[in-house]
Amino acid sequence: MIPPPPPGARPPFRRPLGVVAGIATTVAVATALVIALLLLLEARHLPGPGFLLDPPSRLADRAGIGPALAGSLWLTLLTGLIALPVGVGTALYLVEYAPPTRTARATLAVLTNLAGVPSIVYGMAGLALFVRGLGLGPSILAGALTLSAMAIPIVIADSRAALLSLPRGLREAAFALGATRWQVVRHQLLPSAAPRILAGCRRALLRTMGAAAPLLVIGPVSFITFAPTSPADPLAALPTRIFAWSARPQAGFLALAAGASLALVLLSALLTAAIGALAPRTASHGDGPEAVRRTASGPG
Amino acid sequence: MRRNGGATRDAGAVPEDAGAATEGAEAGRNGAEGAGGEAEAGRNGVGAGWRGRGVGGGGEGAGRWILLGCTVAAVAVALAVVGTLAVETLRFFAFVSPLRLVVDSAWAPLAEEPGFGILSLVAGTAQIAAGATLLAIPVGLMTAVFLEFYAPGRIAAALGGAVDFLAMIPAVVYGCLALNFVTPAIAGVWPDVGGFNGLSAFLALAAMILPTIVSMSRRALRAAPAPLLADGLALGASRGRVLVRLVLPAAWLGILGGVLLALARAVGETMIVTLAAGNPQNLDWSPLEGVRTLTTHLAQASLGDLPAGTLQYGAAFAVAAALFALGVALHTLGSGLVSRGEDGGRHGAGVHP
Repeated sequence: MIPPPPPGARPPFRRPLGVVAGIATTVAVATALVIALLLLLEARHLPGPGFLLDPPSRLADRAGIGPALAGSLWLTLLTGLIALPVGVGTALYLVEYAPPTRTARATLAVLTNLAGVPSIVYGMAGLALFVRGLGLGPSILAGALTLSAMAIPIVIADSRAALLSLPRGLREAAFALGATRWQVVRHQLLPSAAPRILAGCRRALLRTMGAAAPLLVIGPVSFITFAPTSPADPLAALPTRIFAWSARPQAGFLALAAGASLALVLLSALLTAAIGALAPRTASHGDGPEAVRRTASGPG
Repeated sequence: MRRNGGATRDAGAVPEDAGAATEGAEAGRNGAEGAGGEAEAGRNGVGAGWRGRGVGGGGEGAGRWILLGCTVAAVAVALAVVGTLAVETLRFFAFVSPLRLVVDSAWAPLAEEPGFGILSLVAGTAQIAAGATLLAIPVGLMTAVFLEFYAPGRIAAALGGAVDFLAMIPAVVYGCLALNFVTPAIAGVWPDVGGFNGLSAFLALAAMILPTIVSMSRRALRAAPAPLLADGLALGASRGRVLVRLVLPAAWLGILGGVLLALARAVGETMIVTLAAGNPQNLDWSPLEGVRTLTTHLAQASLGDLPAGTLQYGAAFAVAAALFALGVALHTLGSGLVSRGEDGGRHGAGVHP
């Protein structure tokens, strides 16, 4: 880490680069503030608290996000249940278990780089595979499978990076004490890599929770008036609802879109907090990998 | 020691894209090969080898099989996705010569005389994505420099939080804001701007990829050899001069990698461009008019509920295959450069005691 300026240094703002960097930061932070402000100001015109539970409607003052909110919760839950174990398990297997062959290496590289594929492409594949191939139709389940296909590479990429960042000594010490590979994985590697693996899970879930494009491809934005109660129910989600409302010129719908956007951002923040609460604190207690790294590198 | 301190800090609070390998290059490998390389190194160090299972412990066999099952599932999903795209695209090429993708001037699969000039869509994608990335690079890089080298710790954390908020906003929300706020604002300056225009799309797209560029640049700057700044300052150079002459050049591979990853997201972004730039057949390059990209074509085509087996269904898969190839190529190149950059930083650091 690059040290802070020495105490005797001149104040940074005399330097031209500092001024330019400060202006850029102002632009970036102002963008964030303006977006938050616009959403909040626009959401003032929402019909009322019924907005959270009501179904969508042709009349702006009666419309709500009930089914979309329930659909998004279903989608995130199912995607989490499918993609997170598969992604983390794949990274664990390919990094820790698989024989170090060219095939294992190539598999890991390909799976990781699928994270760069645009979300709408997963929508096309989901349309052909799940909606039509498996005959699931435009259902919650088809949507969750599509979003899982999109999330798995992100989870693999970040879990792989987390596992590779662990000090080698962690594995060596555990093996030297006679631990089996599973014991090493379960009791040493997983807890130590957990913060970064969970960060990857969060990134994947946030990306899929906000994804509108793949859901638009696998099914039209439906005007279903009931909240989905099972994975077989028709697809409804907040991002597609926002899309449908954004493009309507009539008065009132912009407020609905802003309200739905706020709900989505709030849901993302809740998810971030929940995942943050899950992360074990071993790393900060001095018996985790941080401590190993610190002692291993010594004072010099 | 200092370098490891930086890495330690990195492990805790991870911004948007910083989940990837900060120290993935620890074993001295780089690029896409890093994975297997390190797995190998870890195992060689252990000496037990991968056959050393079943020594004891109840979960040993079951755990291994469960993880193998996960891998099989992930590979199966990946193969299914790739296979579907390949089969549908090849089926399309059975009817339409791949040559027409390049020869035809316009992309109009529904027209009476269908055109399959995919290059017109690629041009639209390039215009929007490159424009947004070019706008986001200076702002993002300079923000990263400010947060890493100028802002005091607590202020940097607060400002970084605001940038992370940008990363949490879904693309469709950016699209909504671009259509309903940015376009009217532009119309106040140029009254003849279209209701759907490339300018508002590219502004919103730039805001969307900004947090990626900031977090990747911050990572690259942190991976730069720590003593550079101290050495430069000790020699009497100003802080700005040291940053521009020494630190930024040392970090440029990682920064470029981050830019390519951001470009991959910009290329694949659908909702912003669909909402803000509409989808006209636009062949002049005015940013005040609407723009048509690879992704908006897919969105528009599928909003009409694509009928399977038709020519436009196949055409949509050809576009999807092109997007797939672009996305994978940019991601491979970008993440390769990122780990190369961090590797290089390590070697560079070896020069300094």
